[in-house]
Amino acid sequence: MSTSTSPAPEAPEHPLPLHRRLFPNGEWALLVVLACECVVFGLVSDNFLTITNFFEIVRLSVELGLLALALTPIIITGGIDLSVGSALGLCAVVLGALWRDAHIPLWAASVLTLLVGCGCGLLNGALVGGLNLPSLIVTLGTYSLYRGIAEGLTRGIENYSGFGHKFLFFGQGYIAGVLPPQVLVLAVAALSTAWVLHRSAFGRTLYAIGFSPEGSRFAGIPVRRRLMLIYVASGFASSLAAVIYVAHVGQAKSDAGTGYELTAITAVVLGGASIFGGRGTVLGTILGLYALVVLQNGLRLGAMPAEFTGVLTGVLLLATVALHGVRRWRPQRRVHTEEPKEKEFHLKNWQVAVLSGVMLVCALIVAGSNWVLVRSIRQQLQHGAGGSSSAQTSTGRRLTIAMMPKAKGDPYFISCEKGAEEAARELGDNLIWDGPADLDPAKQNEVVEAWITRAVDAIAVSVENKQAISTVLRKARERGIRVLAWDADAEPDARDFFVNQATPQGIGYTLTDEAARILNGSGDFAIITASLTAANQNEWIKYIKERLQRYPKLKLVTIQPSEGDRDRAFAETQNVLKVYPKVKLIMAIAAPAVPGAAEAVKQSGRKDVKVTGLSLPNMCKPYIKDGTIESIVLWNTNDLGYLTVEAADALVRGRLKHGDHKFQAGRLGTIQVEGDQIMLGKPFVFNKSNIDQFDF
Amino acid sequence: MKLLHILNRSKRELPCVIAFGILLLALALRAPDFFDAQNLRDLLVNTAPTLIVALGMTIVILTGEIDISVGSLFAVCSVALGWLAKAGVPIFVLPLVALAIGAILGACNGWLVARVGMPSIIVTLATYIAWRDGLLWITQGAWVQNLPAGFQWFGFSQRGGETLIVLCAVILLVAFAVVLRHLSGGRAVYAVGCDREASRLAGIDPRSIVFGSFVLMGALTGLAALLNAVRFSTIPSNLGTGLELKAIAAVVVGGVSITGGRGTVIGALFGTALLGSSGTALVFAGINPFWEKAIQGAIILTAVFADAAVSRLQKHVHLDFSRAGSA
Repeated sequence: MSTSTSPAPEAPEHPLPLHRRLFPNGEWALLVVLACECVVFGLVSDNFLTITNFFEIVRLSVELGLLALALTPIIITGGIDLSVGSALGLCAVVLGALWRDAHIPLWAASVLTLLVGCGCGLLNGALVGGLNLPSLIVTLGTYSLYRGIAEGLTRGIENYSGFGHKFLFFGQGYIAGVLPPQVLVLAVAALSTAWVLHRSAFGRTLYAIGFSPEGSRFAGIPVRRRLMLIYVASGFASSLAAVIYVAHVGQAKSDAGTGYELTAITAVVLGGASIFGGRGTVLGTILGLYALVVLQNGLRLGAMPAEFTGVLTGVLLLATVALHGVRRWRPQRRVHTEEPKEKEFHLKNWQVAVLSGVMLVCALIVAGSNWVLVRSIRQQLQHGAGGSSSAQTSTGRRLTIAMMPKAKGDPYFISCEKGAEEAARELGDNLIWDGPADLDPAKQNEVVEAWITRAVDAIAVSVENKQAISTVLRKARERGIRVLAWDADAEPDARDFFVNQATPQGIGYTLTDEAARILNGSGDFAIITASLTAANQNEWIKYIKERLQRYPKLKLVTIQPSEGDRDRAFAETQNVLKVYPKVKLIMAIAAPAVPGAAEAVKQSGRKDVKVTGLSLPNMCKPYIKDGTIESIVLWNTNDLGYLTVEAADALVRGRLKHGDHKFQAGRLGTIQVEGDQIMLGKPFVFNKSNIDQFDF
Repeated sequence: MKLLHILNRSKRELPCVIAFGILLLALALRAPDFFDAQNLRDLLVNTAPTLIVALGMTIVILTGEIDISVGSLFAVCSVALGWLAKAGVPIFVLPLVALAIGAILGACNGWLVARVGMPSIIVTLATYIAWRDGLLWITQGAWVQNLPAGFQWFGFSQRGGETLIVLCAVILLVAFAVVLRHLSGGRAVYAVGCDREASRLAGIDPRSIVFGSFVLMGALTGLAALLNAVRFSTIPSNLGTGLELKAIAAVVVGGVSITGGRGTVIGALFGTALLGSSGTALVFAGINPFWEKAIQGAIILTAVFADAAVSRLQKHVHLDFSRAGSA
């Protein structure tokens, strides 16, 4: 790009043609991919190619974009920074703590947060640049360290929210009705990074370092200082992204930005940067970023499974790298010039083989997705208007009801989905079931945004974080979409009804009462929770502790995390049994943790220890039957999904209005409505005597 | 003199061994219950699968490559094994099946890295995402339940099954230590990791070695998945999240150089032991679990720092290092 000011490392003798200068690494391929995505998704959903959706996509990409921009120079120098996502989490928490606990005004807290980010970057920079340590390992260490500090500072529980409207406008509002404010930040960041990398001598030295750090040093480039500087810049970008993230999501929690580092790296590599250094452009990074973000958004608008994104991303990644030509991957090969001709020829054969292989895979996948598309289009045609005009709410129309769990893979929500599908079948409605793969409030926002654009009839959300999602739910209501919260509530003004399966208070109290019953009112017990940051579980624990005042002889000795992982719950339970031998009851309050805890108790041979908690009957059936698990507490999750869809349908068709005290919900019969809450009933205690009646 | 020689030879592993020693000492003073036989056995059984994966990772990193897809491979293998067991594949065939499935998945990585010449970090990043999401797509998050009665512990008693798992890990550890140190195949791994071009000129085919290391990595992951799965009576579909980072961290903390060519499986053993027992140690020492990640991060950073300090010392002291690799 800067052939006039300084020679490119390839040292061309005459100016290159425009397309070579603009796309030195074959980034045009990404333009083609992007165009294909736009055409396909534009055909599938009416709402994809709209100006609102365009800005929505851009808004969602800002945090990731900042991280990807920061990673570009680092990867160009041949390094990598895995800690950007963790630094984002740490900075978000610091921002929240400074603002709420230290009572510092938000603007000052933001500035201090940016300084903390620079500090994070400085540690990486000092170790990588100063001490010349491998960046992969250093940042793997700080990846763990920053996230750990964030969790330690907040005890995992603290969730800072309730930021002022002016601050939230920065992340959620619109300038002149369409333009999200944070887009300006991304634009400025992209332009300045591009200027530094492609127009300044400083940028050229980064490429030089990427080609050969040793050579650059001999050429008089202060390699260490340069490296230190770009890592500090990456820390700064992480903290900037953290401030935007907090304004966007409306909350600051220690799990902010989990997994962002890999997506950002994927974007940079898609954009043609070589992981060995010396190659990459800002334009490529931006294109790579949007190839990813548009893919996610488009699949969502087309109501195709979100897991598809991962598979397609993987293939795209391999295909792009293949396109860049095999010769360039190993810079050291350049040095050996004895037999270049033969080698190049040999490798080119491989290149052809790979390209054809990858193309074949791509073709298969495209064919597969086309099949899905055609099928969904045909379905839409068959049933007339495919949910685009929510104005004509005639009773005979097939409704589109969108329902979101907190996490898609969670067995708890899978059993809810079954009930929801059953209701949708009975009512003849279209059910879209989509949500984040893991607990992730930011993802939930994205999905709802996509549904608003898609103009579904009703949205039902199991809310991970109230403040985070309520703004977007209000927006949905403004557009005339009926909104329900189920499983976990949103702000009361952000939804029409809440399908209440059981209050946190009810769950906490029932669990404690069960514990007291099993232990005969006195003894020690331990809690195995989900992750230490899980909002629901922390709420339950609060009420468990409250109820414990009633049972003075019951003692809660420790709370250990299981991260929603069965094996982790197993190991933690083993530890608890050994460290606290007086514990006679393990209370596991996450669905996968209960079988884990039960297996640990069973293998320890301790017949005197019992397990209780909150889980699914099918998962625990064998343990309940052999007596390891005394009882589990839960509502009928199947019915919960069923009731939610019934309520959504009734709401859209006018069978359910505000002020009603009951409504008919299919096979569940008459359901009580209290104010704006639809009541499923009390939590249910499953034990040996009744477990066989349930299958979910 | 002999002792000095051993110390000299194992200087890369030394920081990790010392750290592990300090951890054990601190535990002995603060929470002697940690050394209860039952606890030690549980720890061994729980970390055996991680150790097996770390062995494979050692080989891959020794050749100068990296594999971040192991966690996803682990999940795919676990679920596939569960399905096969339910479909009636006899239990004594399962270990072979596990090795085969893992090896095939590993060969995909290996082919793209060694034969096509793509950077391993990118290839395995792609397969990491693709396998994990593909699995979620197919299973929709459902667990494999109602496994046949003989599945848990291979149909042995609990004690027998546990012994078998640990025995497997120990045999593999010893075999890898011997092969890497004394057989030509093992030496070739170091040669390729030190200098690919030089090893090619010396008559070693670097591409076969790299390909082989990925196949081995996959096979070991498959075996680890099986040994982990038989400890329970159900198989969740979200197994192995974060396993790749655990294994890489353990290997690097154990003194294996990330640029390849230097390090031993004994180092990997101590790295796994250190990181694997630190979580349990926190519970025994009564330290709040909130700090666990921070402490693990600090351990990794300290290990890298110690590594740098040692090599700096090496420059100044000019000891005789029989196995110094290229920078």
